[in-house]
Amino acid sequence: MQSTIATTKKKERSINDAFASHFAKSMFLTVVGLFILTFIGTRMFTHVDLNLYGYMVGTIVFIGGFFYRFIAWGERPPTKIFIKKGLKLLFRKSTPKTAVNHLAIYDFIRNRGIYRWIQHILIGWGCVLACLVTFPLVFSWMYFTMEDNGYYTIVLFGMNVMHVKAEGIIAWLSYNALNIAAIMVTAGVVMALNRRLKNMQARAEQKFMYDFLPLYLLLFISITGLLLTFQNIVLHGWMQPQMSLIHQFSVIVTLIYLPFGKLAHIPFRPVSVFARNYREHYGEQQMKECKVCGDHFVSVEQSSDVIQVLGANEIDFNMQDGFNLAELCLPCRRKYRISRFSGFATHQVKVKEANQNAKG
Amino acid sequence: MKKRLYLELENCIGCRSCLAACTQCGGHEERNRNYVYDVNPLVNRQTMPLMCLHCVNPACARSCPAQAIQIHETGAVLSALVEKCIGCQNCTIACPYGIPKFDTEQNLMYKCDLCIDRTKDGIPPMCASVCPSNTLQWLTDEEIEAKQKQFNLDNGKWVTSMPYLEGETNVKVNLPGILQGVTKLF
Repeated sequence: MQSTIATTKKKERSINDAFASHFAKSMFLTVVGLFILTFIGTRMFTHVDLNLYGYMVGTIVFIGGFFYRFIAWGERPPTKIFIKKGLKLLFRKSTPKTAVNHLAIYDFIRNRGIYRWIQHILIGWGCVLACLVTFPLVFSWMYFTMEDNGYYTIVLFGMNVMHVKAEGIIAWLSYNALNIAAIMVTAGVVMALNRRLKNMQARAEQKFMYDFLPLYLLLFISITGLLLTFQNIVLHGWMQPQMSLIHQFSVIVTLIYLPFGKLAHIPFRPVSVFARNYREHYGEQQMKECKVCGDHFVSVEQSSDVIQVLGANEIDFNMQDGFNLAELCLPCRRKYRISRFSGFATHQVKVKEANQNAKG
Repeated sequence: MKKRLYLELENCIGCRSCLAACTQCGGHEERNRNYVYDVNPLVNRQTMPLMCLHCVNPACARSCPAQAIQIHETGAVLSALVEKCIGCQNCTIACPYGIPKFDTEQNLMYKCDLCIDRTKDGIPPMCASVCPSNTLQWLTDEEIEAKQKQFNLDNGKWVTSMPYLEGETNVKVNLPGILQGVTKLF
C-alpha cells in the first residue's frame, strides 16, 4: 500500500529537500552569502584583517544561535501566521512609513515617555552605528589603504569609494565612529540603569539576569572600547593588546547571548511592522461585526485567525448561545461574562458601558 | 502563605473604589485595568466587578505571537512586556472575558497584573485592599475552602471559577447569595 502511494504521488522537487531542516538551510545560505560577500569584499581574500578573526568566528556562532531562536519562535502558531501574512503584505504603500516609525524613530516609545525614548535612541542608534562599522571591518567589506602620503582610500566591497585626507573630517569621523557609538551607548545605558534603580514598577518586575545583564554587557563593550582609544592616545598603547582581547571577549559574549535574552527584541521588532500591515490590510477588507451589538471591532481575518490559534492550543470558546467569544466586541464579551455570573442577559440590554475609566 | 484574589460578586455596591485604586498601583501609570458593570442597568442597582481572572492556561498568552505575556511564578498573568509587545491585539480578541486594554499611541497592550509589585511580596492587590464591601478579598486557599463550606447548600449552586468560567483560573469567583436566593445582611 505504502509503495503504491509513493509511486503514484507526484514527485515534488524543491531546493528544500536538499536540507535536513529549516535551520540547516538558513544557516547554509547565510554562511555561503557571507563567504561570497567576503570573497568580493576582500578582493579574493587578499585584504583580510586577521586581528578581527575572533569577531568573525563569534559572528558565525551568533548567526547559528539567532536562527535557532528565531525559527523556534516562528514555529509557534500565532507567530507563524503573522510572519507568513506579514511577508505577503510587505509591499503595502504604508510599509516604509510604518517601518521608519517602528524601527528607526520609535514613535511608540516616545508616547510611552520621553526619557525612555531618548535612552532608546541613544542605545539603539549607537548599536546600529557600531554594527555598521564593525561587521564590514570584520569581514573586510570595508578597509582603508594609503596610496599617497596623507590620503586614505576607503575601499568598500573591493571598490575605491572615497579618497580622503588623513587629517580631514571624514577620516576623523571614520576613526571615531566607534567612539561616538560607545559614548551614545554608554549614555543610554546609564539612563536605563538610572531608571531601573529609581522607577518603582521597573524595580518590582526586573530581574538581574534578564534586565540588568544586557545593560552591563553593553556597558562592558562600550567602556573597554573607549579604553582602547584612551590607551592609544594617553598611555602610548600601554596594555592595549590585552585590552583589545578583553574587548573582543565582551563583544563575542554579547553577540552569542543576544538572541536568547532581552536583546532578542531587536531582531524580533520588525514583526511589529508585519502586525500593523496585517491589521490595516485585513481591516480594509472586511470588519467583523460583533454578534451581539453589531459594532465593527476587528477584521474578520484576525478573529478567525485567533480562533484557529486557540484551537491549535486546544482552547475553544464556542458558547452554547451560538457564538465564539472571539466574535464579540470587548464590552459585549465583558457583559456576557456578567450575564454568565448573574443569570441575567446583561449583554442584551442596549446600554453602553459607562464609568469604566477612573481618573486617578 | 499563598493567597488568592477572591471575588464575592454580589457584595458589589458599584462604588468603583477598585478602579480608582487600580490607577494608583506602582506600574499602572494611572490607568485602571478593571471594570465594574451594572447587571441590569435599567431596572436595579446591582453591580459586579470584572477583572483579569488569571487563567491557569491563559488564552491571551497562547495567542501572543511575541511571547510578550508572561506568567509570573505566583500564577499572575502579567501585562505585556513593553519591549516585546508588537501591538497586534491578538490577546484582546483571545481573552474570553475581554480584559486586555490596548493603547494605540504606545502600540502596547496593558492588563491587570494582579499588582505584581505588591502580590509577589504577599501584599494584597490595590483593588482588594480598598474594596469597602468585601467583594474583592485576598484569602488563603484554606479561607476560600471555608467559604465554600459556609455557602455550600449541596444544591450545586456554589460558583467558584469552574465550571462557570472557560477554564481554571487563579482568581476564585463566588456568587453564593444570588444563586441561593439568600439576601445578605451586612
